[in-house]
Amino acid sequence: MRRWWVRPVVRIGAALMLPFMVPAIITGLIWALPGDPASLICPPSQCKGTQALAERWNLDGGPVQFFSGWLSDAIVLDFGRSWSAFQGMDVGMLLADAIPVTCMLVALGSLWTFTGVFGAATGWINRRLDPLLRTSGMIPVLILALVGAALVDLKYGFGSSGQEGQLARLLIGSAVLGLADGAFAGAVTGTRGLFSRESKQRYVGVAILRGETELANTLPNVTPALVGQIRARLLHLLSGAVVVEVMLKIDGLGDLLWAGTLEQDFGLVLATATLFAFGSALLLLMQAFTEIAVALHVRRSPKVEAA
Amino acid sequence: MELRRTFLALGGLAMGVLGTGATLNYFEESLPTSLNPLFGETMVDSRAQELVFDRLWYNDAVTNELKSRIVSRHEVAEAGRAIKITLKEGITWHDGTAMTSKDLCFTVKAMLDSGTPSVVAAAYQEFIAGCETQGANQALIRFRKVLPKPRARLGFHILPAHQFDSTAISPDLEFSARPTGTGAFKGARARREVIFDQYSNSHHSPSVMQLQLREGGDPLLQIRTLEGGEVQGIIVVPPGSRADLRASDEVTLKSYDLRSWWFVAVNTSNPALQDKRVRQALNLIIDRTELREYTIGVKPGDRNSPCEFISGPFVQSSPYYNRTVPTVPSANRAKADQLLKSAGLTRVGGRWHVGDQPITLKIGMQSNLNNEATDLLEQVGNQLGDAGFDRQTSKVGADEWSQEVVSGQSDFDLVIGKWSFGLVEAVNDLFHTNGRKNIFGYSDSAVDELLNAYEDAVTDTDQKDAYHKLHARLADELPYLFLWKLDTKSAWRTEVRGNVITPYFYFTEIDSWKVVED
Repeated sequence: MRRWWVRPVVRIGAALMLPFMVPAIITGLIWALPGDPASLICPPSQCKGTQALAERWNLDGGPVQFFSGWLSDAIVLDFGRSWSAFQGMDVGMLLADAIPVTCMLVALGSLWTFTGVFGAATGWINRRLDPLLRTSGMIPVLILALVGAALVDLKYGFGSSGQEGQLARLLIGSAVLGLADGAFAGAVTGTRGLFSRESKQRYVGVAILRGETELANTLPNVTPALVGQIRARLLHLLSGAVVVEVMLKIDGLGDLLWAGTLEQDFGLVLATATLFAFGSALLLLMQAFTEIAVALHVRRSPKVEAA
Repeated sequence: MELRRTFLALGGLAMGVLGTGATLNYFEESLPTSLNPLFGETMVDSRAQELVFDRLWYNDAVTNELKSRIVSRHEVAEAGRAIKITLKEGITWHDGTAMTSKDLCFTVKAMLDSGTPSVVAAAYQEFIAGCETQGANQALIRFRKVLPKPRARLGFHILPAHQFDSTAISPDLEFSARPTGTGAFKGARARREVIFDQYSNSHHSPSVMQLQLREGGDPLLQIRTLEGGEVQGIIVVPPGSRADLRASDEVTLKSYDLRSWWFVAVNTSNPALQDKRVRQALNLIIDRTELREYTIGVKPGDRNSPCEFISGPFVQSSPYYNRTVPTVPSANRAKADQLLKSAGLTRVGGRWHVGDQPITLKIGMQSNLNNEATDLLEQVGNQLGDAGFDRQTSKVGADEWSQEVVSGQSDFDLVIGKWSFGLVEAVNDLFHTNGRKNIFGYSDSAVDELLNAYEDAVTDTDQKDAYHKLHARLADELPYLFLWKLDTKSAWRTEVRGNVITPYFYFTEIDSWKVVED
């Protein structure tokens, strides 16, 4: 118990490193793959200028040179322009447009998670519904997203990629994200399991006999585990957002990441992946600070004087 | 000049108010990869760029006559090794700057610059030597050799010099997404659409105020949206969906002359396929009539079939098509078996072997062809499987196609694809040893000679002779198994009038397009 701070400090350290580690690892990975974007746009057998393009895109000096060049620009928020996926479009602008969309998608999707957590913790969602929830959670995100995409395309036609269509895609996407692959069912059953295990502790029984509520007693002790669980579920939503955005053609970060990967648009891929890493880092920080707050709260409890 | 532009803008505005101007929404096969003419390589790119830029010379969609909207005079100079061009006055770029000979020479220099990584420019580098301005509106373009018909070869789009810092042009400049041209429309690409806004100029006066391009997706959905009136046009309608539209009073099907033909390219570097007799056997194993019926829905004996078999690299209506070379409509398994045995292949347990190894053919197909010929890849695979070849099939996306397959970097044994041409059906890049689109690096000295003969030909007759011989040679050598020409049809709602569709480039006559409210 004396070393309670180790875990949150490790989390904070990981959170600080994540936005640098992720693009560095991705750079290593893309360097290991065959082919390079300059040769794809200008195959040496078909045109001159491949070398000039490789130099312009900093691809001629190995992964370290490329990554350090990209990082020094990224630090001043210069992400350059898209090479191939959205040729000529400013990556920073693409990200700026996509961030609110993905945030909104994950936020709306997480409403389901939080509803599940709250409903399970308070007993508002009846235990008898669990089999139904588990069954409904077995539907894969891919299937639900495909059905959603078809619905939007049929309803909005040409306008399905316009503002109205995008809004419909966002709402359907958030429902898909919140419900599919057991996201909602997992939130309910996971939280219920956590609380029911804690409720069996002796101190809870004593507290109830003293006239206190069960939730008030279990909550401080389950909070670190609950926050860890919520972080995992939000991460699940964040990664699920990529699939949902691609399938439903939602103009978010996940769709950008997918398009960039398909087209070997390194700058776009690195920038988008870094933003996802930032998201993950924020969740780690949230968990770390909650752990710190709970630990301080526990230690702030009045000491009982010796009789 | 300012006054003139103000009048033009007011004119455009007035047309919009009076109802002749309108927005046209249309479905394309995909979004364009680039609006910069130096980098777009797909048909979608060509069509989009045609709205934004002017080409130096173009062929009239109706009379086929070579015309120019931006050249007022031209004369051949330096004994055929140069052409002196005088540009029309009063033409402005979309940002209001006047177009001058400096822009023309900048475009030429950009194409010749080794720092411009453009496949499009590479074609011009072969015969253009340089450009020299001779005053504000006059320029002299020099060639590397005497060109018999120089204007026909100078179909490139003009770029604005003032928009670039150097003649080394990169694809990731903002220009690729928001170009500045002299065409009838200003284009701007977004994530899911491209918007083209009318720009009236001294040489363009379009009636349509705005065009919106979006990716089509599912053909059925495109057709329902068109019938519902939410969209006014579909650029490519698959054969299977045409009957529905033909019956509609609100939609007109229009021919889009692409001069495109379908093929199965054969990897002649594969040891099993190096022998010409094996390729000839494959040609006899493919039952084109059956393929056409199962994939396009054309029954044997159907009148008005949209699909016409070919025996060489030209459509049957082309002057280069050699009619003495017969097509192979049906399979002939017995003859194919004979050829395979004579090439040293053995049949063990129903499978063809080279030495001890069974032959497995890796077959790829350009994925968007599936919209026009459903399940073609599977059907070709089945026919080869029935004939005793193991196979692995996979579809190839548009980017993989242009970046890997066309540039000869794929590991397929057979590739199903389609080439489309404008009026100039030059196939040198496809079959020449050094051709830029030689999919499997096919090389044959006799073919190279014929291709060179076409390049050097001074008269039309010489060109035709060279290509007729080439057709016969390729039908024997079979680096490609030639399949068919499939008509391409567009669909536009009847309220869109005057919509002349130019072969290949589509929107060249966009000024005549208008929307009439019924």
